Amino acid sequence: MIVADYSRPFWPLFLHVLGAMTTVGAILTVVVLTYVAWNRPDAAFLRRATFAALLTAIPFYVLLRVFAEVMYSDEKDAFAGSDPTWVGIGYITSDAGFLILLITIGLAYWWKRSEKPVAGRIVAVLSTLLLLMLTVAMLAMSGKWGS
Amino acid sequence: MDKTQWLLMLHIAAAFCLVAGSTAAAILNALAIRSDKPSEAAFLMKLIRVALPLIFAGVLGTLLFGIWLWHDLGFGFGTGWIWAALVFWALASALGGRGGRHQEQVRAVAEREAAAGDSMSGELRAMLRDPKALAVNYAAGVATIAVLVIMIWKPGS
Repeated sequence: MIVADYSRPFWPLFLHVLGAMTTVGAILTVVVLTYVAWNRPDAAFLRRATFAALLTAIPFYVLLRVFAEVMYSDEKDAFAGSDPTWVGIGYITSDAGFLILLITIGLAYWWKRSEKPVAGRIVAVLSTLLLLMLTVAMLAMSGKWGS
Repeated sequence: MDKTQWLLMLHIAAAFCLVAGSTAAAILNALAIRSDKPSEAAFLMKLIRVALPLIFAGVLGTLLFGIWLWHDLGFGFGTGWIWAALVFWALASALGGRGGRHQEQVRAVAEREAAAGDSMSGELRAMLRDPKALAVNYAAGVATIAVLVIMIWKPGS
């Protein structure tokens, strides 16, 4: 029963999981860079590195989101109109998370151009929030909470 | 959640730590390669150390919870895809370790050059872009992805 719960067509699941894992890696990099930059606001290379790391997260996030949708459209009938908790958490995280990612990229660009420390600190807080949301979603989906 | 679900969650969480930590290390390494100054390259390569506990937790966690699940789910000792995953897991760990040692050597040279005028020498540039080291890092990444492919595909099961 449990093995069946975790058994799905290969490609959508593989690409979704790979996208999720690499997104977490890219956002983790941003978190590390921004907290280091918190005490070194003069380091221009940290601002550039943060912006570049955030840009690498975009294709990873698209992979995560697109193949989540592919799997959901294949399997939604099995939920009989009542999605389990882990699906709901995944949806909220991926939709809200993408919005947070785009806002964070905009702020990181502003930080890179303006050199204002406050922009870097907002990027640090938002990327930390995104990392926490992704971690909760990962635990919910791998533990199949509510099913 | 029953015991098996807990084990699966912990096994997958460990795999996340391994791949996410490796991705963070790869991004920081790529940023260091593109640095203009030795001090910047050294600083970014030093930050890779932050990802190491995550990678080590992932390496140990995937093995520990993977073997526990092997027993818990009743797969036989001769299950080929599990052995294949273990071979790639060992290969990824060995290649990752070798790549990490090269990065430490590069960081030491970068720190030395940063202290001596902070201008990028040909030696450091060559070490940062060493094709052999890059090939080892790429091979470690491919081996890690191969483990993921095998665990999701479960060929023959």
